[in-house]
Amino acid sequence: MNTLKKILLAGAAAFAAAFLIAWSTPYWYVPRLEAEVDFADRELIARGRYLAHAGDCAACHTAPGGKPFAGGLGMQTPLGTIYSTNITPDKDSGIGHYSYADFERAVRRGLRPDGVHLYPAMPYPSYVIVEDEDIQALYAYFMSEVAAVSKANQPSTIPWPLNMRWPLGWWQLAYARPRSFEPDPEHDASVRRGAYLVEGLAHCGACHTPRGIGFQETALRDDASGRFLSGSVLEGWYAKNLRGEDRGLSTWSADEIVNFLKTGRTARSAAFGSMADVIAHSTRHLHDGDLRAIADYLKQLPPRKGREARWTPREDTTTAALRAGDYAARGALQYVEHCALCHRLDGRGAPRIFPALADNSIVFAEDPSSLIQVTLAGGSMPRTPHDRMAFTMPGFAHLADRELADLLTFIRNGWGNHASGVSVRDIHQMRREIAHKPTHYAPEAQQ
Amino acid sequence: MKTLPSVLIAAGALLGLSMLAWSQSGAPADPAAGTPQSFALLDPDNQVVGRYSIPPDSDILRHANAEEILYGKRLLNETARLLPDNVGGGLNCNSCHLSQGKTDHGANYFNTINSYPKVMPRAAAMVDMAGRVNGCFMRSMNGKPLPVDSAEMRAIIAYFTWLREDVPKALRVDTPSEGKIDTSLVPDPVRGKALYAAQCATCHGDDGEGMKDQFGDYIFPPLWGDESFNIGAGMARTYKAAAFVFYNMPMGVNHKLPIGQGGALTQQEAVDVAEYFTHMPRPDFAPKGNDWPKGNKPKDARY
Ligand code: HEC
Ligand code: HEC
Ligand code: HEC
Ligand code: HEC
Ligand code: HEC
Repeated sequence: MNTLKKILLAGAAAFAAAFLIAWSTPYWYVPRLEAEVDFADRELIARGRYLAHAGDCAACHTAPGGKPFAGGLGMQTPLGTIYSTNITPDKDSGIGHYSYADFERAVRRGLRPDGVHLYPAMPYPSYVIVEDEDIQALYAYFMSEVAAVSKANQPSTIPWPLNMRWPLGWWQLAYARPRSFEPDPEHDASVRRGAYLVEGLAHCGACHTPRGIGFQETALRDDASGRFLSGSVLEGWYAKNLRGEDRGLSTWSADEIVNFLKTGRTARSAAFGSMADVIAHSTRHLHDGDLRAIADYLKQLPPRKGREARWTPREDTTTAALRAGDYAARGALQYVEHCALCHRLDGRGAPRIFPALADNSIVFAEDPSSLIQVTLAGGSMPRTPHDRMAFTMPGFAHLADRELADLLTFIRNGWGNHASGVSVRDIHQMRREIAHKPTHYAPEAQQ
Repeated sequence: MKTLPSVLIAAGALLGLSMLAWSQSGAPADPAAGTPQSFALLDPDNQVVGRYSIPPDSDILRHANAEEILYGKRLLNETARLLPDNVGGGLNCNSCHLSQGKTDHGANYFNTINSYPKVMPRAAAMVDMAGRVNGCFMRSMNGKPLPVDSAEMRAIIAYFTWLREDVPKALRVDTPSEGKIDTSLVPDPVRGKALYAAQCATCHGDDGEGMKDQFGDYIFPPLWGDESFNIGAGMARTYKAAAFVFYNMPMGVNHKLPIGQGGALTQQEAVDVAEYFTHMPRPDFAPKGNDWPKGNKPKDARY
């Protein structure tokens, strides 16, 4: 009886301590950094606009069909949907009442002015390294140039008690500690600038770095583990390995990377899914120098052991077979029926119109999730001023699981590609994932 | 670490709830999976008497003459390469009969085999299946007719026969092979030219020359010039071309199956752009004097 009481008491005390520590982090762990920001400085504001593009704030804070930065984009978590918030300078529903210190703490530390911890769906673990002057430019831009929109934030659908936010204080202590950018002295200026952007504002790792057990990115910069940008699946999209590895970006030149980030396509590939959004909202607005810096940085990411860059295509026997009317390979008949009109018998598509499937690193990537999703749901290239037209692939969800599995296994191993097969189970799971995508909250879209 | 228990409890609860979320979604995620596109079947009085589903090509393998049907499919897809003696330009049959003749408003072959022989106004005479195929060979393909009893003609007809499935001759699949267009719209080729540059030239070329692959076969067919269809083709007529373009071009621009086609232009724009490209230089059709012997020549005929 006595021991039980003791255990209960100890448990309650531990719980109270855990709660108090987490709840109070905003007060002792993260100092407030005040600064004077000049809202009349046009140059500062213009730089802020550029940095808002680099940080892709619109991708999350603008819902499809909604007003710019008014929030309402739904994001799926295993527990429910959370919504991005209104970051227009509206005094009541937006961030109009934020001081610079409030803004800085929200963007870099994940803390609301009332001390509430933000979900890491807001990529503050990456933004933490953004330098003061850049945060000031962002603040100047949001407070003076973004149009104020009155729109209340949408609560998450996560049920009580899981929607309590104080445990996020512990999450932040574990995974989002204050730190600053540490340039590698061995890098030249371009690679250093690339590292600053990729690790920071551009938060490429939010999608491209594998997540750990606490949903944290397992590396926030290129360290000895080699996990940074080594590929991860988010909302059913495989944001693939970007390292100089076998199935990473080893088959890409720096020029191709620049071209891809600027125009959404190269002669053999086209961005789709969440990457198409990144290009449409963010990278296509970046200066050539910054894109070159990102490409230079990515191209020097070393391979992990055993994954050295040695992927080479096998001999292409597919083109000759299909042109000779030999459809015996599994999936070949379906390929000719449904896909060959655009991607062609030789798997080369049409440059900048229909991506190639031959020699295309997303087709032979380790994880086929992105291929499955784009084939089921279709996709559109981002529209950029570079090309007169942007193209769309329709979804093929009406095909049977077996047909789709055969088709995708066929393209992953056709024309000299070689990669693991795709199973009926993989297709089935992706259908479920797509059926459960969150809906967005943009009441102004209905008006 | 005193905090460990609470973290563990939270993590456990998280896990439990997420498993629940997943298990609730056990039902088939996509009711449309595995169902091909289908259309109503009409009897001669336009009463719906059933449905027609587009058969997948894998269904060909069930048939005793599978090899012949597949040969027909290839000939229709890759006509210029496989039948160079009969094709005058660079087109394939399926350059117009989109996606193997399985596209609802894209000159599909659903009702083809059941429609012949029939009286065609252009010839003012009975035309049989082989005769109709050869009509396209001589005009749309600017080429020469196939011998009526050749293996190639039989294979092409075998493909049409297979695609009909088992629909009896008296019934009709309720989707036009050619969509409706308002023929009272007045074409403006100047607007058409600008539209062509914005919406078509990326694929069909700035000079209508199309785009070729590494083997010299067309990825995107030419819309005018020596390699295109001749003036005797239905596609050379403004409103026939406009109907095709309105429902099918540009393609690869939306989620409509099978090839993301149409929906980008208004009918007026389709008429404008059709007037522009149909009237660009293209091969003549020598026996044109024999057409419409009994009059009733349509207003957009080219001669
Ligand atoms: C990947 C998605 C994502 C991106 C990119 C993103 N945010 Fe957020 N942001 C969120 C979400 C989700 C929330 C709400 C989190 C919550 O409710 O805990 C949020 C919250 C905020 C808040 C707190 C607002 C409040 O009062 O609730 C601010 C300020 C903010 N973001 C600014 C920015 C800025 C500036 C950028 C660009 C540099 C940016 N965000 C980029 C997802 C994103
Ligand atoms: C919102 C998630 C997301 C973010 C953020 C993101 N990516 Fe991606 N990325 C993807 C997905 C998904 C793919 C796969 C689809 C594709 O190839 O278009 C991809 C593909 C790519 C590819 C093509 C790889 C290949 O082999 O085809 C490159 C290059 C790339 N990303 C670079 C970047 C860079 C650089 C950044 C940061 C500026 C970035 N990505 C940020 C999701 C993301
Ligand atoms: C109407 C033309 C068309 C058809 C038919 C088509 N695709 Fe695509 N495909 C595209 C376009 C356009 C893209 C680029 C989509 C994007 O960027 O979002 C694409 C992209 C892809 C990609 C991603 C490659 C990359 O680098 O972007 C894969 C894989 C793919 N298609 C597979 C298929 C398969 C499998 C089929 C047949 C079931 C098929 N496609 C049918 C036009 C088509
Ligand atoms: C330049 C475009 C074009 C090309 C190339 C073409 N056709 Fe046609 N074809 C048409 C048009 C337009 C029609 C008329 C459709 C209608 O009136 O419904 C047609 C009609 C037909 C019909 C009659 C269909 C029916 O149901 O009445 C057959 C059969 C046919 N084509 C076969 C072929 C064959 C075989 C080839 C290749 C040798 C071919 N076509 C090449 C445009 C073309
Ligand atoms: C995305 C590329 C693309 C665009 C853009 C496009 N087309 Fe096409 N078009 C095609 C393809 C592909 C075919 C043939 C399909 C096949 O071979 O299977 C075709 C066929 C045609 C044909 C029948 C074949 C022929 O040579 O006469 C006509 C007519 C045509 N297109 C007109 C147009 C017009 C007019 C526009 C602009 C409004 C346009 N197209 C835009 C890809 C395109």
